[in-house]
Amino acid sequence: MAITGIYQSGQVSGGRLSAKVSEVVAQNSKASLAAALLPVAVTLVALLVPVIAPYSPLVPAGPAFVPPGHSGFLLGTDSVGRDELSRVLYGMRASWFSALAVIASGLAIGVTVGAVAAVAGGWVDALLMRITDVFLSLPGPVLAIAVVAALGPGLVHTLIGVGIVWWPFYARIVRGEIRALAARPHLEAAKMSGVGPVRRTLRHLLPGTLPALVVTASLDIGNLVLTLAGLSFLGLGAPAPAPELGAMSARNLTFLLQDYWTAVAPGAGIVVLALVGNLAGDGLRNLMKDR
Amino acid sequence: MRRVRGVLPVPGWEDGMAMPGNTGAPVASVKGLKVTFERAGEQIFALRGVDLEIAPSEIVALVGESGSGKSVLGLSLLGLLGHNSKPVVEGTIEVAGAEIGSLTEAQLRRLRRESLGAVFQDPMTSLNPTMRIGKQLAEVAGSAEACVELLRSVGVPDPARRLRAFPFELSGGLRQRVMIAMALAGSPKLIVADEPTTALDVTVQAQILELIRSVRDRFGTSFLLITHDLGVAATVADRVVVMYGGRVVETGRAPALLGGPEHPYTRALLRSRASLDGSGPRRLSVLRGEGVDSHSDLPGCSFAPRCELAFDGCSATPVLGSFGDHQVACWRAGSAHSPFPEDDPGEQAPAETPRSRGLASVKINDVAVSFKVGRGGSQLALKALRGVTLDIEPGGALAIVGESGSGKSTLLRAIAGLAPIASGGVEIGAGGKVQMVFQDSGASLTPWMSVEELLEERLAVCGVRDRQERRQRILEACDSVGLYRQLLPAKAGQLSGGQRQRAALARAVVVAPEVLLCDEPTSALDVSLAAIVLNLIADLRERLGMTLLFVTHDLAVARVVADHVAVMYLGEIVEVGTTEQILKDPQHPYTRSLIDAVPESGRLPVPLKGEPASPLSIPAGCSFHPRCPSALAECGERPQILKVSPLSRGHFIRCEPVLEELTWR
Repeated sequence: MAITGIYQSGQVSGGRLSAKVSEVVAQNSKASLAAALLPVAVTLVALLVPVIAPYSPLVPAGPAFVPPGHSGFLLGTDSVGRDELSRVLYGMRASWFSALAVIASGLAIGVTVGAVAAVAGGWVDALLMRITDVFLSLPGPVLAIAVVAALGPGLVHTLIGVGIVWWPFYARIVRGEIRALAARPHLEAAKMSGVGPVRRTLRHLLPGTLPALVVTASLDIGNLVLTLAGLSFLGLGAPAPAPELGAMSARNLTFLLQDYWTAVAPGAGIVVLALVGNLAGDGLRNLMKDR
Repeated sequence: MRRVRGVLPVPGWEDGMAMPGNTGAPVASVKGLKVTFERAGEQIFALRGVDLEIAPSEIVALVGESGSGKSVLGLSLLGLLGHNSKPVVEGTIEVAGAEIGSLTEAQLRRLRRESLGAVFQDPMTSLNPTMRIGKQLAEVAGSAEACVELLRSVGVPDPARRLRAFPFELSGGLRQRVMIAMALAGSPKLIVADEPTTALDVTVQAQILELIRSVRDRFGTSFLLITHDLGVAATVADRVVVMYGGRVVETGRAPALLGGPEHPYTRALLRSRASLDGSGPRRLSVLRGEGVDSHSDLPGCSFAPRCELAFDGCSATPVLGSFGDHQVACWRAGSAHSPFPEDDPGEQAPAETPRSRGLASVKINDVAVSFKVGRGGSQLALKALRGVTLDIEPGGALAIVGESGSGKSTLLRAIAGLAPIASGGVEIGAGGKVQMVFQDSGASLTPWMSVEELLEERLAVCGVRDRQERRQRILEACDSVGLYRQLLPAKAGQLSGGQRQRAALARAVVVAPEVLLCDEPTSALDVSLAAIVLNLIADLRERLGMTLLFVTHDLAVARVVADHVAVMYLGEIVEVGTTEQILKDPQHPYTRSLIDAVPESGRLPVPLKGEPASPLSIPAGCSFHPRCPSALAECGERPQILKVSPLSRGHFIRCEPVLEELTWR
């Protein structure tokens, strides 16, 4: 329930199309499975980008502003003659892996904090949860700007900035789930069986939080792609020539009226990734619900 | 519609016009009803051709185990089959002169409002938790006066005050009374009650059954009482309908059918039921095989695979035919008596020499347990146990009985170390190990771990390092509890109720404990399955020489498993003695009331008035005196002490007047 409540904002990003597709996904378990497997497919494609991309994303490959579909440039070229398709593909790859990296670090911190708080209880719980509240109240993009300002620009620094604020939800979910699970008879049965507290937590409690975590995390992919693109749009990503979706659409915004593809193509890349994340989340939620 | 309905007396009811046996057009009539569901792409044949008629002001008990289709039949009569599972319905259902299949949704609602009532097992889930009782009742009854009148008619004390209560503020018994009041509101011709007493204590169950009878007598309402308990059926029903595998297998007037059951299934059901009669612990006879396969639609008797009398002819579907004073659907009806041994001992225990014999005694020394309820200033102490002393000899078997809230489960949990002991102590002789079987065995198995992983973990914790040995002992444990080895990789969700209970038992005994604690392990199981599990526990106890503590609300179960019985009330033991002493010669008024409330064939249960007090405000003096049928004036002042009976050794009673009387005898 927390999942739908907190992450609804992420689902809006795809707009009506996303809503429509979500509907289809919700009604069909095969579609749900397909949607849930989308991130795997995207990851594979992202790994293969250096093989797939027709040109280098950094070196000009032809004249500037070739319109899409002309002289072998599927998405045209940009202001310096670099292949737009290659740049978008590399940009999506960077966005995708950045999002996964932030989610992985968020899960690692969040699960640890949430599990320790739930199992320890008492003042440890209170302390950890208040710390979580502090981080929850920090606005992510602003903190990222502060971190980048302190450490200097760069993708890694942006990721650190976002990563710092991206775990509290996970901590809350894990803590809530564990506390609910801890009241169930199977935990007392494990205690009767003589299982120690560490193994009880790892084996009899944590796996139960998996469904909620997986769904939340996959719905988060879309959110993160958008957040990171937004930061990169503001110039908080990798420096100039690097292919980054947010930065590309920002820099090419000036050409929007004459050479629209240079700004629209990176934007479309963002939409695709966000859509994949949201659909995967929807699909997983349906699959878990059916059980 | 602000009209008082339902509570207006039916004209002429005082003259006994609305008595059972009234002939006239049936209130409900079902003909050739077949209901098929679709779940996960598979067809489920819930009903396979059922005929049923309910006469005006008749109480019909529908008896069967889970999967027999009895609830589906009840829902069909209410027109509530739903659309999600895509039911395919064949045959006709006529209720109050209307054919349900031909009605529109609006007409159906009208029929339900005006002619039908429903009472379900768990009133907590049927009542809206966020609405006050009065408001919910007013939705069906109209004015507030009508609500008060309704509540009074179902015996809710102080009805005006209860109208302002939320469902959670009422006890289970009161909630069920409110449900019955709601069902009564539209002066229905028929009330479908699906297991209305299953979740209640025996004493409260007896009260509700009495209420159902009195409602019928006063208003002439017909009841379809769905139950798995033949005892319940025997005490209130005019007619009993036994279902198996989506078909009616036997039907007839209650005394005739239960006195001389003809269908092998009914006979097996009666025999596997733990009853108060007879003496000494005994094995219950059991039905072989698993429940019905509701996935196949082959013709033939559904019971044939489990029937000892089955022959080739059973592959044709038997039809209901008159036999003596009732109707039976069995090709072997009539021949059933001779080859059926009257009291077969059930499935024989493998004769094995006991590994160890009675190693550990359990000494419970003045144990008190209390929980803090509420927060801050309004914090109260809930005294769950108030000084319990018990001495169980090595290898003994003690049943702890009492109503909910008596502290019986808390006592077990205190022994297991799962409840904090405030004072006193528990001593397990010879440092024996304790294991526990929980009430909800399914929930006690970690859902994402396989049976094998759970057993392996238990062995590892107990220091069995060798993998080969672990595997060996897991297989042994499996065999000893009768769990198929193929089920070892299965998780709790993939097991049936009986298999889960076996898996939980296997986990408890894979490293044999000296003391086994059982918390109502059979209360959620069907009669035939409960018999199997009770036999299994008895076998294991015998074979492993375990000391057994068995919590149950069912005195009949206590008789089957235990050699001693302790009766608890509000955190105290009120009477303890051998099973023989307690069940055959009960002395404490509470024990007597408990036994009188058990529904048994051939006698009406005598309900005990009221419900236990809250453990938060225990009555002064003898805590039972407010409900005691033979309370004296001084009982409210003097706390009672558990003392040995002057007549028989080892029989302790917490009641001074009774003890005095015994001394004079």
